[in-house]
Amino acid sequence: MSIEKRNSVRVGGSGAVTVFFAHGFGCDKNMWRLLEPVYGQRYRTVAFDHVGSGTSELSAYDPVKYSSLQGYADDVLEIVNQFGGEKNVFVGHSVSAMIGMLADLKQPGRFAAHLMIGPSPCYINDGDYVGGFNRSDIDGLLEALESNYLGWSSTMAPAIMGAPDQPELSVDLTNSFCRTDPEIAKQFARVTFLSDNRADLPRLETPALIVQCNEDIIAPVAVGEFLHRKLPHSTLAVIDNVGHCPHLSAPSACSVAMDTFLAKEGL
Amino acid sequence: MQEALDNAACGLLQTTADGTFVRVNRLFCQWFGYSADELVGKRRFQDLLTIGGRVFHQTHWAPLLQIQGSISEVKLVMADRAGTPISVVVNALRRTERGVVVHEIAAYIARDRDKYERELLLSRKRLEALVAEATKLQAEANERELFAQQMMGIVSHDLRNPLSTIQTGAVLLARGELSPGQQRLVARISSATDRATRLISDLLDFTQAQLGRGLTVVREAIDLHATVAEAVDDLRLAYAGRKLVHEPVGAGSVQADANRLAQLVGNLVSNAMAYGAPDVPVTVVSKIDDGACSISVHNHGPAIAPDVLPHIFQPMSRGTEVGRASRSVGLGLYIVSEIARAHGGRTSVTSFPDQGTTFTVVLPR
Repeated sequence: MSIEKRNSVRVGGSGAVTVFFAHGFGCDKNMWRLLEPVYGQRYRTVAFDHVGSGTSELSAYDPVKYSSLQGYADDVLEIVNQFGGEKNVFVGHSVSAMIGMLADLKQPGRFAAHLMIGPSPCYINDGDYVGGFNRSDIDGLLEALESNYLGWSSTMAPAIMGAPDQPELSVDLTNSFCRTDPEIAKQFARVTFLSDNRADLPRLETPALIVQCNEDIIAPVAVGEFLHRKLPHSTLAVIDNVGHCPHLSAPSACSVAMDTFLAKEGL
Repeated sequence: MQEALDNAACGLLQTTADGTFVRVNRLFCQWFGYSADELVGKRRFQDLLTIGGRVFHQTHWAPLLQIQGSISEVKLVMADRAGTPISVVVNALRRTERGVVVHEIAAYIARDRDKYERELLLSRKRLEALVAEATKLQAEANERELFAQQMMGIVSHDLRNPLSTIQTGAVLLARGELSPGQQRLVARISSATDRATRLISDLLDFTQAQLGRGLTVVREAIDLHATVAEAVDDLRLAYAGRKLVHEPVGAGSVQADANRLAQLVGNLVSNAMAYGAPDVPVTVVSKIDDGACSISVHNHGPAIAPDVLPHIFQPMSRGTEVGRASRSVGLGLYIVSEIARAHGGRTSVTSFPDQGTTFTVVLPR
């Protein structure tokens, strides 16, 4: 199976630098619909779905391979090696920020910069470390997943009541966005929220921007500060946003932080 | 306006884009044990969610509302003032009111629906566990069967060599000067070895057929009558004292595997000898028609029980209980049908008390 089909890769824009957009736990690459066209004016853009999400090839989902973030990181390297150029920038939302870091550590030099949006190396509090969740919270979340709404299947996806404000909304977008196979969603949640990549942080040589929302229960400010301390070449940008998806709810604040960083890095 | 909201049969509320309550109706307040004053401007919709719900709110709800503008029938667990979890089904609409984004939310309590869904999920889980267990057992059984068949193939194959040594020894012994008693003994060794060798080829063929490889046949132009006549001659030696008749009908060449047909005749005759009346001849007819040819073997004697007939070509099935030592393990007729199948032909049987039993194999020419 081609990587393009497997990860439902969407290539756009043009420029000397290629910017990769990787979505986090939850929906799919359509998360980037506000940023992708903006960056497409200056860069080549590559957005994709992790296997198991969006319009990726569900048959390629291998529960063993994707039992750790490394499985996703290996896919990222394949995507970057096929669609990337000389200079590649990786924009990872949420768990994808760590996936991008793991890919970088496996093949150092492949990335010129990481833009981490709402990243967290570990979601669970551990001694002095504040991840934002207790183990019991995560267990509660995983249990909720088993018995509840997160496992939206294609037959149970939320209906649309109509969005009169947004007539441009395409049908295929609404048909795939946020729909996943319940089994895959469960495992992805487990792998995401039980991951702990704190020990890998000091090894990342590539410059990284941490886009931190001032109010985000999934990745609280303390986590962004921790990352900034541990990542050797990092920049912390705290932006005014409630929630975990600033690229949707505060796209301009988000891209200002990204542009400032990219300019500083000469990209 | 507020009166209409308060009298609505569902929880109605309006929040800002970040979730802060702007308006909330009486029913929603009643359900969750808060006064409107405690909510409006002070709490956010997501504050009432459980942790799992909040994660969901950020990873699914917010992006969906942002992009789709609305979502409906989302089930969430919210906590009331005392912390008791309550399942609610929620519809939400994002719209702009005087240039400001607001979310209109309608909530319904779904306790019983939630209970029902949990039961459904539970039974699905149980069912999945049962299916997994059955699948595992089936796989184990398949593996054991495969192993047994392979074992049978290996053992049968390895038995051939010592048997061929015995056979050669018997032939060499027969050439020497022997007393009549010794001659009888050597003849018995010889015919017993023949039977064992046939049994082993049956076993090997059976294993091959069961492992899904089917029997190999090499079809070439042969003289059907001569092939059958030769096989019948050999069989007369093996069944000394029994009458065996061969009747050729028609003429022409046939595309078939001569060795396999000899094996087929051997199995059918051996069956007829075992079950037929010992004092009446067994008749083998080889017949050539325009489009097909056939071999049939007839014997007199008791009829095959009607309930056995449909399964008679299955491996390990036997006819009526005949306590004779000459029977193999019940592979003979199965091999016959497999040989017929490999030739593109078919097998049939008729059996009546007054007419006897006839096995017929029809093969394309």
